[in-house]
Amino acid sequence: MFGTRDIPLELREGEISVSLRRDQDLLIYHRECLGDACDKQLVSRAKKILIAPTEPVTQPKAITPYLFIKFDKALLLEPASTARIYVTFPVEIGVFATGAGNPQLIDGFTLAEKKFTLYGDPSMGRICWYWSSRIHAAIPDVDELREGIMELTIQNMDTDWVEVKKAVFNAYGMKIFYGLGMVSMRSTMKLRPGDTAETSFETSPIKKGATRSVERYALKKISMATGKFVMEHGL
Amino acid sequence: MIHNKIIYGNVTVLDLVVALIILVVSIGIAKGVVLYAKRLLKEKVDKGHLEIFGKVLYYAIIVTAALVVLPLVGVKPSGLLVAVGVVGLAIGFASQSIIGNLISGIFLIIGRPIKMGQSVNIEGTVGIVEDIRIMSTTLRTFEGLFIRIPKQKVFTTNITNYVANVARRVDYTIGIPYDADAQKAISLIKKLIEAEPFTLKNPEPVVYVDNLGDNSVNLLVRFWAPVSEWFTAKSKMLWRMKKALEGEGIEIPFPQRVLWFANELKGNLTGDSDSSQAAVKENGVS
Repeated sequence: MFGTRDIPLELREGEISVSLRRDQDLLIYHRECLGDACDKQLVSRAKKILIAPTEPVTQPKAITPYLFIKFDKALLLEPASTARIYVTFPVEIGVFATGAGNPQLIDGFTLAEKKFTLYGDPSMGRICWYWSSRIHAAIPDVDELREGIMELTIQNMDTDWVEVKKAVFNAYGMKIFYGLGMVSMRSTMKLRPGDTAETSFETSPIKKGATRSVERYALKKISMATGKFVMEHGL
Repeated sequence: MIHNKIIYGNVTVLDLVVALIILVVSIGIAKGVVLYAKRLLKEKVDKGHLEIFGKVLYYAIIVTAALVVLPLVGVKPSGLLVAVGVVGLAIGFASQSIIGNLISGIFLIIGRPIKMGQSVNIEGTVGIVEDIRIMSTTLRTFEGLFIRIPKQKVFTTNITNYVANVARRVDYTIGIPYDADAQKAISLIKKLIEAEPFTLKNPEPVVYVDNLGDNSVNLLVRFWAPVSEWFTAKSKMLWRMKKALEGEGIEIPFPQRVLWFANELKGNLTGDSDSSQAAVKENGVS
């Protein structure tokens, strides 16, 4: 599914179908996914399009840049310890026109269950995309169109044991890779005293040779965005 | 020398030139400082407040410069301050409401209970904040009306800001018949809430039997939604719940009353209108 494709395109994979054909000066785009359809017309000289995973926070509507991953079981870390675990995250698929200028998003969709949650309280908290994941000790087998794999390194910088049940990430820092049979990210979570933590992303893939995806949130020039997230409302 | 030539009192041409230069330079400095401050605060302060802050800063620098140059042009600041005080007192009495609005405006800018673009209710007027000025706040109501509210009124009245927090709760009371399975209805409603993306996972939705009403068993349904999606979630979920309950044979009951007649009705009440009316006439019921 992922990668650069020639136009015209007729692609069907599982519950997803994407087609793109030229009609004179127009490009006619049609997509179906889980009963939802999208039709668009483009004016572009592009000969190819790119289908790639994007930051999983924009479906059905981009109302937040934060991804909340709830662990199925709590993880306890002893003082000054480091754990490398694997969790899953929802895969969101983006279709990009690769004509003149930066890649332009034509359409985004997902096979993952869509749900939002609140991290913190209604006045000071953040609305986040919600996802629940098992904690894996090794890279799990998943359907790459539905779930991605995040390698999460958790460092306990506290002098006490810390219990972690969730992690919140900022889409502005996400570095998503695809290829070699999986969609992946590498991230770090630094646990600090006072039940707080800082999450951030690494710029390298889990497996060498994977291709770095287009960063939709990085494309927007927001100088205030740091890409890190400070979890101040509990772990 | 011409620059030592006295024009009036002890004021020389040089004094006037220096005063003029100080004023012109202060205007330039004021413009530069305001521009720099605006650039610095552009991301941190909203546009409306930034404009007001810029104006206050600009005039503060000019007034300070004017106070510095006053002795140069032969005006004693102490005397001026007394005059300003007297005039200020007179103006203050004459324009109490304007001063009141101004001071209220300053306190509201510091307190920031509302921002431009937010949905608010100010003393019963519901709308979107279009502009926040030092003397007034303007709202665009949902009917499209332009309403200007003086700052003093905004300051002294209750303000409800519908979008100040990131999430907002939706409450429904749904009545089901006394003979319906309440547990089944609760489970059905919970599934619908879970399936909707914009009903938040946390705070956890709550559905329970709240009270036994006159005509129905009343279920209380509470869930939270992102404030931007609150109205959409509220409007579509209630209808979905009604359809789902009806689909499972749980009708939403309407108010009804059972009447007991002192004398038992006689006659055929099978729905045949003629015979029913005859029976009613016979019993003297109208």
